[in-house]
Amino acid sequence: MPVAELNPQSPVGNPKSDEVVISVRGLTKVFKDFWNRPKARAVDGVDFEVRKGEIFGLLGPNGSGKSTTIKLLLGLLNPTKGHIEVFGHSPRHVQTKARIGYLPEESYLYRYLNSRETLDFFGNLFHLDKADRNNRAEQLLDMVGLGKTQTRAVGEFSKGMQRRIGLAQALINDPDLVILDEPTAGLDPIGCREVKDLIIALAKRGKTVILSSHLLSDVEDVCDRVVIYYGGKIQANGTLKELLAKPDTLRISTPVLPRETLEKVLALIRHDVTTGEVRVDNPTQNLESYFLDVVAKARAAGETSGAQSGARVAEYLRAGGEEKPATERVLEKLSLPQAAPAPKASTEPAAPKVDDGKLSALAQPAAPAPQPDKLTSKTETAKPVDLSKADEKLSSLLGGKK
Amino acid sequence: MQRIFAIAGLTWKAALRFKLFLVITALLLIAVIGLPLVIKDDGTAEGFTQIILTYTLSAITALLGLSTIWLSCGTLARDIEECQIQVVVTKPIARWQIWIGKWLGIVTLNAVLLLISGAFVFGLLEYRASKLPAAVQQKLHTDILVARGAAKEADMTAMIDEETAREFTARMAQSSVEKVDEAEVKKIIRAQVKAAVEQVPPGYFSRPWQIDLGFAKNSLADKPLQLRIKFNGAERTLSGTFTLMLQAGDPKSGKVWRSEPMSLAPSTESEQVFHEIPIPANLFDSSGVLTIIAYNPNNTALSFPLEDGMEVLYPDGGFAPNFARGLGIIFCWLALMAALGLMAASFLSFPVAAFFSLTMLVVVFSSGTLADAIDSGSVAAGNEETGVAGHSVMDVVLIPAFKALLSVIRLVQNFSPVDALSTGRCITWTELGLAFTQIVLVIGGIFAVMGIYFFSRRELATAQTQ
Repeated sequence: MPVAELNPQSPVGNPKSDEVVISVRGLTKVFKDFWNRPKARAVDGVDFEVRKGEIFGLLGPNGSGKSTTIKLLLGLLNPTKGHIEVFGHSPRHVQTKARIGYLPEESYLYRYLNSRETLDFFGNLFHLDKADRNNRAEQLLDMVGLGKTQTRAVGEFSKGMQRRIGLAQALINDPDLVILDEPTAGLDPIGCREVKDLIIALAKRGKTVILSSHLLSDVEDVCDRVVIYYGGKIQANGTLKELLAKPDTLRISTPVLPRETLEKVLALIRHDVTTGEVRVDNPTQNLESYFLDVVAKARAAGETSGAQSGARVAEYLRAGGEEKPATERVLEKLSLPQAAPAPKASTEPAAPKVDDGKLSALAQPAAPAPQPDKLTSKTETAKPVDLSKADEKLSSLLGGKK
Repeated sequence: MQRIFAIAGLTWKAALRFKLFLVITALLLIAVIGLPLVIKDDGTAEGFTQIILTYTLSAITALLGLSTIWLSCGTLARDIEECQIQVVVTKPIARWQIWIGKWLGIVTLNAVLLLISGAFVFGLLEYRASKLPAAVQQKLHTDILVARGAAKEADMTAMIDEETAREFTARMAQSSVEKVDEAEVKKIIRAQVKAAVEQVPPGYFSRPWQIDLGFAKNSLADKPLQLRIKFNGAERTLSGTFTLMLQAGDPKSGKVWRSEPMSLAPSTESEQVFHEIPIPANLFDSSGVLTIIAYNPNNTALSFPLEDGMEVLYPDGGFAPNFARGLGIIFCWLALMAALGLMAASFLSFPVAAFFSLTMLVVVFSSGTLADAIDSGSVAAGNEETGVAGHSVMDVVLIPAFKALLSVIRLVQNFSPVDALSTGRCITWTELGLAFTQIVLVIGGIFAVMGIYFFSRRELATAQTQ
C-alpha cells in the first residue's frame, strides 16, 4: 500500500457511516476467586461505540483491561455489570459470529494441524463449502506468506509464523468486524507493516477493525479513533487527529533549499515570530522504513526458510473495482524507479503467486512522502554497503532482537 | 452438521497425530493375542474358548473404557486450558455443537477400535476352533459358539405378593401383639413365601416347572435343548455335591426323558455354579410348554432360585450376529463413559475431571455395598448376634439417595454381554435396544444435558496473567 494511505491524517475516504457496530455501556468486569470474593477489577465502567468502517484502537499498558474488554466483546467472558451489543445482538449470539474475525493475543492453534488443515477446520465452522475453503485457504496462505509451508504442523512454526496463521484464520470468513488483539506481537517488521496495510485495506472495504496494542506506532499508523486504558478505565477517547494535533504549531516541509532562499523565508517568518521558536532541520527517516528498505534489497538476492513476506491481500478480501487500479498505479510509480525487482522466475519458480515486485513496492515507499529525492539518494548510497553490516546495525538498534 | 463433523474430525486428527490411536490399537491387539497365551484353563476346548472370550472381552472393555475417559476429559479440558477453545467459540458454532462434536469424535473412534479388536477376537476364536477335531468343534458350536435363547418359568412375583398379603392378614388375626413393624414383618413373610416356592424338600420330593418356549417352539422341532440349572443346598455334604434327578417331557403324552441320578455341585455365596444338561429334542407339548420335574433324593432341602434356578436353552441364531450385538452393548457403555468424561471436563480441569470420572466408575462397581445398605435400611452396621438393625442419623437422607443411585446404576449395569457370550446365550435385539435406550439415551442424555449446561455457562477465558 502506498504511504499516502498510511497517514491517518490524510483523507482516506473510508466508507464510514453512522451504523453502530459495537456499543458498550457501563461495562465492568470483576474477576472473582474460588470463594466468589472480588480479586481484580479488570474493566471498570467503560463506555464506547465503534461505527462501521472505523479502525478503532484500544491502547494501554499491560494489564490495563484491553484483552479483557475484547474477550467480553466476544462472549468469552461474561460482564459483571454493563451492556454490550455487537451488530445489535448479545456477544453470545451464535449467528452474529459469522460476521466476526478474531485474532487472540497469542496463537491458540491446534498444534497437530498443518496450516492448510487449520484454515480448512475454521472454514468448516463457518459452513463454507469445499471449493470456497480451498480457494480462501490458498489465497490467505499466500497473503500471510506461508504458501510454501502448508504441510508443516503449526506446532513446529515459530511464533511469528503462528501469528500469521492466526491472522489468516481470522479472515477466512471475510468478516465485517475484525478484532485483533496485539496483531503485531511476535511479527518481524515486514510482517508488522503487512498487517497494518491489511488493516487499512479492510477498512477501505467498509470493514470495521478493532485492534488492541501497547505499541503506539502500530496504533498511530492505522487507527482512526482510539481509547486509552489505564487501570481498567478509559482515560482518553477520540480521533487521533483530535488527540494529537498541536493547534499552536506549524511545520513546513520542503526539498532542500538554496541557502539564500532559506534565509529569505526565515527573514519573512521572523517578522511575526521570535527567533527561538523557529527550527530548521533535516527530517530523519524512521527505522521501520529503513529496515524495510534493507530487507527488500536482501530479498532480491536470496531465499529464506522462514516466513516469506506475503504477497498481497487475498483476492476476496480486496477492495472492489473502483479503488484497486488507482492504488496499483500509485504503487508502480513509487516503486519502479528504485527497487529493481529480482527476476521472479529464477528465485521462486515454485511459488509464482508470491509477487516480489509488488512486495518491495509495498515496502519501499514507507518514508515520509514529501522527500522522494532524499529517499532515492539515501537508498542508492545504502545499496553498495554490504548487508551484514546493515544487519548488525539494525540488530543493535533493535536491542538484540532478531 | 458440518460444524459438528468438523469438531469430530478434529478429535480424530488429534488421536491419530498424537499416535494415540496406534498405541491403543497395539495394546488391544496385545491383549487379544497375548492373553490366551498366558491364561490357565481347565484343559477342555470349551473351557478354553470360554476363558478366552471372557478375558479378552473384559480386557477390551476395561482398556477402551479407561482410554475413553482419559480422552474425553482431555479433549475438552485441554482445549480450554490451552485456550484453543477461545478461537473456536468465537466462530458461529453453538457450544452444544462443540460438545456433541467432541462426543461424536470419541464415540466413532471407539467404534472403530472396538470393531478392530472385536474382529480379531472373533477371527482368533474361529481359527482355533477350526484346528480342533470335528467332535470337539461340534460341541463348541452347540455350547459356546452359538446364540442360545433362554426360557424361564412365568414370573411369580404377583403370586408371591398375594400369598404374602394373605399370610400377613392371617397371622395378624391370630396374633395378640398390638403394635408391629408392618413393613418388616411383611418383608420376613415374603422371604418365607419365596423360599417355599424355590425349595424342593428332601426325601424324593419333587418340584415341577412349566416353561413356555413361546414362539421359539416353531423352529425347535428335532433340535436338542439344554437345561441350565443352579441350586443351593441347605447344608453341606461331605463330598460337596448333591444327587439330583431330572425329568423332562409332556407327562400326558407319555413322551418323557429321565436323567440318571447326577452328582452336582451347589452354588455357594461366593461362587455361582451353573450346570448345563442336554436333553433330547421334541419334549415340549403342542402349545410349546416344556414340563420339568426335579427330584431331591438327598436328606437336605435344595433350593432353585426363581431368577435363574431353572432355564431351558434353545438355539436361536448364529454366534457372529450375537457377538456383534454383544459388542454393541459394550459400545453403549463406552459411549456413556465418553459422555461422563466430557461432562466432567465441562466444568473441571483435566486432572480433576479424570479423577471425578474414575470415582464415578468406582461408585458403579461398589453398587453391591449400596444394595447391602438399602437392604439393612441403614448405613450403620447392625449387630449380627442380636439381629438389631443399625441406625444412623444420616439414614433419612442417604438411604433414599442410595436407592435412587442404585436404580440409575442398575439401568447401566443390568447387561452382561461378556457373560452371555462366553456361555453361548443369546443377546436379543430387544436387549441391545434396551441397552441403547437406557445407557446411551437416558443416562448419556442426562450427562449430555448437564455437560452442555455447564459448558455453555462457563467463561472460557480467564483473568489474563500478563
